[in-house]
Amino acid sequence: MLDLHPTETVLAIEHLAISFAQPRPAVEDVSVSLRRGEILALVGESGSGKSMTARAVLGLLPPGARAAGSIRYDGEELLGLPETDLNRIRGRRIAMVFQEPQTALNPVRTIGWQLREALRAHGLKSRRAAAERAVELLRAVEIPEPERRLGSYPHQLSGGQKQRVVLALALANEPEVLLADEPTTALDVTVQAEILRLLDRIRERTGTAIVLITHNMGVVAEIADRVVVLQAGNVVEEGETRTLFANPREPYTKTLLASVLRLPELDSVVEPSALLPSAPASDVPGPDVPGPDVPAPDVPAVEFRGVHVHYGSRRRGRAFPAVTDVSLRVAPGEVVGLVGESGSGKTTLGRLAAGLVPLAEGRVLLQGEDVLAAPRAERRHLRRGLAFVHQDPEASLDPRYAVGASIREPLDIHRVGTPAERDARVAELLDAVQLPASYAARRPRELSGGQRQRIALARALALEPTLLVADEPTSALDVSVQARVLELFRDLQERLGFACLFISHDLAVVHQVADRVAVLRGGELVETGPVGTVFARPEADYTRRLLDAVPVPDPARRGRRVRELAS
Amino acid sequence: MIRYLLHRLGSALLVTVLASIGIFALIRLVPGDPVSVLAGPDATPASRAAIRAELGLDRPFWSQYAHWLGDLARLDLGPSYKLGGDVGSLIADGALNTVVLTLFALVLASVGALVTSTAAVVWDRRWLNSLLSALNTAAVAVPTFATALVLVLVFAVRFPVLPAGGTPPGGFFTHPDIAFQYLLLPGLALALPAWAALTRFLTEALRTQLQQPYVTTARALGIPRRRIVLTQALRNALPSSVTVLGIQFGTLLGGAILVEAVFAWPGLGRLIEQGISARDYPVVQVLLLLSVVVFVLTQLAGDLIHAWLDPRVRLNGVS
Repeated sequence: MLDLHPTETVLAIEHLAISFAQPRPAVEDVSVSLRRGEILALVGESGSGKSMTARAVLGLLPPGARAAGSIRYDGEELLGLPETDLNRIRGRRIAMVFQEPQTALNPVRTIGWQLREALRAHGLKSRRAAAERAVELLRAVEIPEPERRLGSYPHQLSGGQKQRVVLALALANEPEVLLADEPTTALDVTVQAEILRLLDRIRERTGTAIVLITHNMGVVAEIADRVVVLQAGNVVEEGETRTLFANPREPYTKTLLASVLRLPELDSVVEPSALLPSAPASDVPGPDVPGPDVPAPDVPAVEFRGVHVHYGSRRRGRAFPAVTDVSLRVAPGEVVGLVGESGSGKTTLGRLAAGLVPLAEGRVLLQGEDVLAAPRAERRHLRRGLAFVHQDPEASLDPRYAVGASIREPLDIHRVGTPAERDARVAELLDAVQLPASYAARRPRELSGGQRQRIALARALALEPTLLVADEPTSALDVSVQARVLELFRDLQERLGFACLFISHDLAVVHQVADRVAVLRGGELVETGPVGTVFARPEADYTRRLLDAVPVPDPARRGRRVRELAS
Repeated sequence: MIRYLLHRLGSALLVTVLASIGIFALIRLVPGDPVSVLAGPDATPASRAAIRAELGLDRPFWSQYAHWLGDLARLDLGPSYKLGGDVGSLIADGALNTVVLTLFALVLASVGALVTSTAAVVWDRRWLNSLLSALNTAAVAVPTFATALVLVLVFAVRFPVLPAGGTPPGGFFTHPDIAFQYLLLPGLALALPAWAALTRFLTEALRTQLQQPYVTTARALGIPRRRIVLTQALRNALPSSVTVLGIQFGTLLGGAILVEAVFAWPGLGRLIEQGISARDYPVVQVLLLLSVVVFVLTQLAGDLIHAWLDPRVRLNGVS
């Protein structure tokens, strides 16, 4: 099928425009044509209209949205088609996969039920035939023990398995076109690599054309044949993947490619001190942390000594170990990256520093003092030296507070200076995060994601902490915004000299900001060391696998990587 | 699940005990006392004191309470002061009438709410929603006794198609069709507020479910909207609605007193009303406690059904 009509167009989107009751249209003028059996990447930052374009194809735009232009599938106009006719197309001709596997499945129905329902919608009414086909589908998306899984509920599967089920649902009625909206964004890198390979195999086996919507240039380089770059509802550039990566024509594409953080090739050592000249050259080595050279032994900003954390029932046998025997030191002014996949315990460790989770065993020392053993008043004082920045600034800032009030709040709580001095300090902090002082009066929703994260950073720095715990601070941001926020972070860290536990699943981000890195897996510390050393010459197998799974924004390396992953 | 059940049973027991103290105290705080009702306006202080001593009302509060608990434990409810006969047999006579009426209203309210709310969501028309919303507000706002009187005036007096009150002469089970006619008006009057509240809640729950990503997944698979509402959204909206239904059951218990009075329905509601007028402590105490127990048990059942309907709770045993 692939060879019979290599250039035949299955889906043609022409001059698509989508508008809401807002000043700016979500999609202004997008034309995309999809050929049979190809993988076409739709790339762009948030607000570029890539998701809306895909939703418009299946008539799944949010209420109030109006679409104009033309979307033709196999010669048939889809825009304006009534619901009943759309249901003939949906799932059967064109199917869609969504970003968040945690919520894309019905939580109170079994996997088997949901697959049967998808088959039933297009005529397969026999229960037994549907059950057989369901097993076949689960096998096709490489879920182990498919017969048994039919009776499982979504919450009994891992994130990656859920996304496979979502994929199985989409493939149930053998569609010719698959729209995949950020299908791997919510997944760990190793799982992401598996799902991408699966998509590629499905395309080869069935000839399904895939529209891959993503913001991740690494993912694009990994599997896309062609790329369409969107910006603010318009097509900026399109071309073959290799050509576009090698010779981007438009300035926007160039910026987009330039802001992608890259990991060094394995075995090429980068000195961490070259990245952060004013930060201390190395850490204070703990008893089980092999460190290279030893400077003056300062009191560490935070030290974990053989800590264990259990979640769930405290009764014997039922507790789930979230962190097991971790020892780690963060020297004053040092940035330690905590990396690991979901469930690795990295967030738990960060919260442990503030005494926010109960410690089962071991000790946590903040500047040499045991947080949990300290009396209440003392604990409050210790916590003053510690600040948090969370992943989602939209959730961590009070929507009803003006952002200035949010920044001021820690000053008010700890009664720092006079009210006038506090206001001056807010202006100073806003200036430090490169926002005009007039922004103090704005509400969080009047700011962009990157601006909100700057506010969160300003608030965290209000009390001049000695330790900052940053939990995925840039994961919700677009790459170009992320690059600017990281730059600001590094600049502030150099100037103010606070120590930082920088938690991230993104190895490239950690590589850029951290002095040292600690790799966690299943609650255990796998490896620690200077970031350049660990990422270039990982000692643990797991670290190497993690590094291998990161998609590289370089299509030329694709063949090599596929061979590596297959071995 | 077992641990969850034990935990809930413990708190249910605590609520019941606290309620029994409250009831016992409250009824004694109500102005007027059984002695003046029994002795009549012309009684001498001596005869009043004699009656007081005979009823045990001269003893301290806690002693009276302990005595009552002891009687309850032996299931000996004692004689009524004024209504005549044993409290136990008074309750037994009225219990069936009230149980049938309340269950009828409960079924009417829940089935009715299921129909109206799914209809409102499946046929999402502006006029239908406005109409349902208006009816809803009216049903919640108009007090039960007023609805009951209007129903009697319209369907029994102006258009005499249904009986104006009383229970079916042949009992509920010999001629179910006749029994149904007798149940319809009081049942409707009792069910309306719960029906309206449930409809509002369930409609909102269904609309929230329809915003969920799994619904978009289902729509993208070409499953018709109506089928998604009936087989997926409803199934997700049910657990929380069952909890609300449990709370609405309390409305039904309270409403039964008014409805039984209007329809001359010889049930526990009427018994309690008569008991309060006569300051007949033993009758009122037991009936109030009984309604607390029924309410607490309903809540418990509601929570258990909720847990059972949600596989995430059922399969993990975590509340």
